[in-house]
Amino acid sequence: MSPEIVAALLLSVRVALCATALVLVPGIYLGRLLARRSFFGKSVVETLVSLPLVLPPTALGYVLLRLLARDGPFGEGTLGFDPGILFTWKGAALASAVMALPLVARTARVAFEHVDPRLESLARTLGLSARRTFLRVTLPLARRGLLAAAVMGFSRALGEFGATILVAGNIPGRTQTLPLAIFQSIQVGRDDEANVLLGITVALAFAAVWVVEILMRGAPGER
Amino acid sequence: MSFAIRIDLRIPLDRFELALAWETDARFLGLFGPSGAGKTTLLEALAGLRPAARGSIEVGGRVWLDSARGISLRPESRGVGYVPQDALLFPHLDVLGNLSIGRGRALASAGARLSPTRVLEVLELTGLEHRSVGALSGGERRRVALARALLSGPELLLLDEPLAGLDAPLRDRVITYLLRVREEFGLPAILVSHDVVETKLFASEVAVLSAGRMLARGSPEEVFLRPGMEGGPENVLRGSVRAVERGAAHVALDGGVEIVTPGQGLTPGAEVRIGIHAEDLMLAEESPARISAQNLVAARIRELREEAGRVLVVVEVGERSLPLAVAITPLARERLALAPGRAVVLVWKAHACRVWVARVSPPGRS
Repeated sequence: MSPEIVAALLLSVRVALCATALVLVPGIYLGRLLARRSFFGKSVVETLVSLPLVLPPTALGYVLLRLLARDGPFGEGTLGFDPGILFTWKGAALASAVMALPLVARTARVAFEHVDPRLESLARTLGLSARRTFLRVTLPLARRGLLAAAVMGFSRALGEFGATILVAGNIPGRTQTLPLAIFQSIQVGRDDEANVLLGITVALAFAAVWVVEILMRGAPGER
Repeated sequence: MSFAIRIDLRIPLDRFELALAWETDARFLGLFGPSGAGKTTLLEALAGLRPAARGSIEVGGRVWLDSARGISLRPESRGVGYVPQDALLFPHLDVLGNLSIGRGRALASAGARLSPTRVLEVLELTGLEHRSVGALSGGERRRVALARALLSGPELLLLDEPLAGLDAPLRDRVITYLLRVREEFGLPAILVSHDVVETKLFASEVAVLSAGRMLARGSPEEVFLRPGMEGGPENVLRGSVRAVERGAAHVALDGGVEIVTPGQGLTPGAEVRIGIHAEDLMLAEESPARISAQNLVAARIRELREEAGRVLVVVEVGERSLPLAVAITPLARERLALAPGRAVVLVWKAHACRVWVARVSPPGRS
């Protein structure tokens, strides 16, 4: 394997891990909100959460690009400094996180829906506050589904292309993740390299989906 | 120790509105009624799990709910020990984990602080602490759920049909555990049930609920004798074992009457409950001589009522005029010319008695 391929693989894993870390807490929060609460405008929130699934990734990438630009709402003019996220691996991680949010939130929602709400109520009657009930009853009972959500987010981030290329560019060794490297190999006609990259990507994706399948199969019947 | 419960609640439900006012000083309450009468809803409202409940709840001098004043304590602050119908153990915790989940409140609250060792002993759970919840039998699950509630520092136990779905031998065993908990710890409790015997065994005051309304309330001995009461006239008596000899136990009832029951498993001093079906009691004009039945008790007829093709005779026995129901045929009534006020002799075999031990020996002697 050439050093470029290794660099792309390592960068991809780093970006995907960071994206997962970024998206996990908001994803779990949204999943919990959608699974347990009913509130005015819930269907709007549901739709908004799922929107990145159906929007072209380039559209979202463009939005992020505008938001994070030096003269944008999160740029020098408002923050007083340039966060310097654009065209770095951090930008790739952020773009991947936004793209992974729908899958994480939806999988987390299913995980919470499988927890019997009566167990949560019962924990309250036994003296546990809402927060302690969440930590001691809900989270442990939903743990397999939440782990599956994390793996889903990780795999989605690993495959992210459209938003990443707009926000982070395609700089070999710095922002070039596996999907971007495949794109470049094909463009310049290095088929051998493209095949190796393809093999690695398929292996990673296969492993991730397999883990999710195993986790989700165990989740609902866990009693 | 006086303990008062004041409930005045309205809860909108799909089919009807549950509206109930209940004030009582009794510590052991029974909530009796058919399925769908609103019993579980009421328990959930007491536990703070029904945000739609309006009205007021005051337990042991503490206000749990007063919607007029905008007070509604959170479930965790109310101090209930809720035992749901299907035990509902936490599947991710072992027995010990389930039992200790409410420990935080037990240590902090003013509620009952029972010794975990004693609770495990009374419910015979010692040795099961590290079992996984999935490996427990149906009866064990109920006992763990009961112990979990007892160990959470409760001021009021809420028992939702603790015997539902159990087969007859197991029911009798779990009833015994309920009675032991009642006698040993004396925690105020509300027992929800649609079983007359269970309710009579446990409760000292009963409210009968139907379609969200209270139909009747009173002592279990009287309430279930009212005309048209569902569940039938099952007699349940309280007493203590005086002596055991040759397979029979002599039991002194609360009303000053002594009867004979099967003696198996009984020891002198034990507090017992005795169940006798109304169909197993016989009436005689005078005391029959040379008869194998061991129980011949003088009684006076209070009232006669024809119900579902049979005659229900309510008789009173003992100094406290304890009411008992006797079911006979209309033919028997005619032949004996029974009428209210008449003195009769109540006859039954020792083996017509079902016996539950509530406490092996009275306090101070163990």
